[in-house]
Amino acid sequence: MNPSIEEKVEMMLDYILKKCLWQFHSRAWDRERQNQGVLSKTSELLCEEPVKTDTPEDRCYWVDAVCLVDAYRQRFPWLASMGKGEIKELMALLKEKLDFVTITGSLNAELTDQHY
Amino acid sequence: MPYHEFECSTCIPERKQHAVVKGPGETITDALPLGYLNTIPGTISERGCAYCGAKHVIGTPMKDVIHISHGPVGCTYDTWQTKRYISDNDNFQLKYTFATDMKEKNIVFGAEKLLKQNMIEAFKAFPNIKRMTIYQTCASALIGDDIDAIAQEVMDEVPGVDIFVCNSPGFAGPSQSGGHHKINIAWVNNKVGTVEPKITSDYVINYVGEYNIQGDQEVMIDYFKRMGIQVLSTFTGNGSYDDLRAMHGAKLNVLECARSAEYICNELRVRYGIPRLDIDGFGFEPLSASLRKIGLFFGIEDRAQAIIDEETARWKPELDWYKERLQGKRVCLWPGGSKLWHWANVIHEEMGVEVVSLYTKFGHQGDMEKGIARCEEGALAIDDPNELEGLEAMYTLKPDCIFTGKRPGEVAKKIRVPYLNAHAYHNGPYKGYEGWVRFARDIYNAIYSPTHDLCVLDISKDEIPTGYGFKTQRMLSDVNLDETVRNSTEMRRYTGKYDSVSGLRERDYPYMDAQAKPAAVAATESV
Repeated sequence: MNPSIEEKVEMMLDYILKKCLWQFHSRAWDRERQNQGVLSKTSELLCEEPVKTDTPEDRCYWVDAVCLVDAYRQRFPWLASMGKGEIKELMALLKEKLDFVTITGSLNAELTDQHY
Repeated sequence: MPYHEFECSTCIPERKQHAVVKGPGETITDALPLGYLNTIPGTISERGCAYCGAKHVIGTPMKDVIHISHGPVGCTYDTWQTKRYISDNDNFQLKYTFATDMKEKNIVFGAEKLLKQNMIEAFKAFPNIKRMTIYQTCASALIGDDIDAIAQEVMDEVPGVDIFVCNSPGFAGPSQSGGHHKINIAWVNNKVGTVEPKITSDYVINYVGEYNIQGDQEVMIDYFKRMGIQVLSTFTGNGSYDDLRAMHGAKLNVLECARSAEYICNELRVRYGIPRLDIDGFGFEPLSASLRKIGLFFGIEDRAQAIIDEETARWKPELDWYKERLQGKRVCLWPGGSKLWHWANVIHEEMGVEVVSLYTKFGHQGDMEKGIARCEEGALAIDDPNELEGLEAMYTLKPDCIFTGKRPGEVAKKIRVPYLNAHAYHNGPYKGYEGWVRFARDIYNAIYSPTHDLCVLDISKDEIPTGYGFKTQRMLSDVNLDETVRNSTEMRRYTGKYDSVSGLRERDYPYMDAQAKPAAVAATESV
């Protein structure tokens, strides 16, 4: 059975929340940067597009993205049958949901602190 | 995710917002306990203070340093046998603890002279130690002693010494976490960049937020060295003072305990452009992913994979032996800050236990976000619990074991709930592949100790059974196991040594040796 796109997003989100740490940096602006950095590279890897890795920061996002892609491909075989356009749509929804859970919908009062 | 109100705390209504139960389908956006706030008057918190967080958690694990508290002698009680951050220089920082022993007369007349006298005396007593950290306490902060000025005087007068001053008195924050923050920022402001590192590898990291509890750091350093990675500094377990002054020379900060040390990683990223990679050193899968990420960063992932394959083959059958016997056991995960989330998911997946509650005394809401996100539904999450709440939770949840510190742990034992020391460990190290098996073994020993059957009997009123003999752990743990599991020849109990750390100090590291040699010498040898 092929899950709906909402179900796919939930499964992918659950993996990130349970297995990853990069999404939980301590400030909202930091989380925005992290979510964008890792998920954009994850999307590129899933779509087999070139990924920028020439700065230390890019490389750091890339290693998290590589491991995430490996885990996704291992756990979610339905990814293999999706086209590039579908994957990009899926990843955009995942990013939106992750941003909500970790930033815009977060109840963590420290996220808006201006200092580390 | 409704808030949870403890019956014992109905008289302190503010406490209700400090506990939640993770309900079905609910996320951290539905409810999150308040955290890192001043303790509510009357709740009798069990937290440590900001001085403790700075000195006893972060400062003192540095190994080649005289750590001196400028205050009453009682402030420096955490030493040998209460902390277990060992070091490879014969545990100097654990064996010797220093305080200026401030008394009433010093409060009245000042204690700067006393401080200077103590500092010089300490340097004379240990002439081979040329580094010192001084920790302000409530007493010396309130009277306004100028510790920085005294430190400078001593540095001017005593040749070759360097001194770090940490102004984090006990009242400088709601909990020990305030002290973590202060010492992170003080170190990066005052010491990082004052020594230039000697780079011996193409792959250079700082290992941050790691305190070498019973050898954790040495286990991880072994993996890094096997990959050919130079660990420029460890912040701070088994770490060297001067190495930590050279943190700016690394290419990557590998962060373990984000609760206590993310601040310095963040500052190193902003000031020196060194990226921060958060890792998990606990559990087979998270550790493997962590090693792989570090390998990928430097383009040496094949070396990481070789370690993962070797260690997994060696230790997985032993982990599985314990997992079969721990399935479904209910545990309370009540550690400090980071183990709350390091362990929340992986002990469920790799040991089969159910986390029925998690708490933190000094964690922030960010730690609760991670912990709640990683645990399963139904778990009770508590911020800064008091002793009565802890007892009520244990009576209600009926855990088979709790993982916590020694103080709440002893309370648990009084109501006959086994506990494991989550801070200092029972028989660690718990990091690394072997360490994770040691942790599983400790849980097994805690839960299946035959003592529990005996100690619940009250000889003044209970009938003492005489129809059977002493029950062994195996009789207790294997009674409901399938025959195939019980007689498996694949799975086995822990077969490591009592001391799994000392041997690591003698190992050879081919990749490190190859890199350390000058190019001309290496070329000659290869001919």
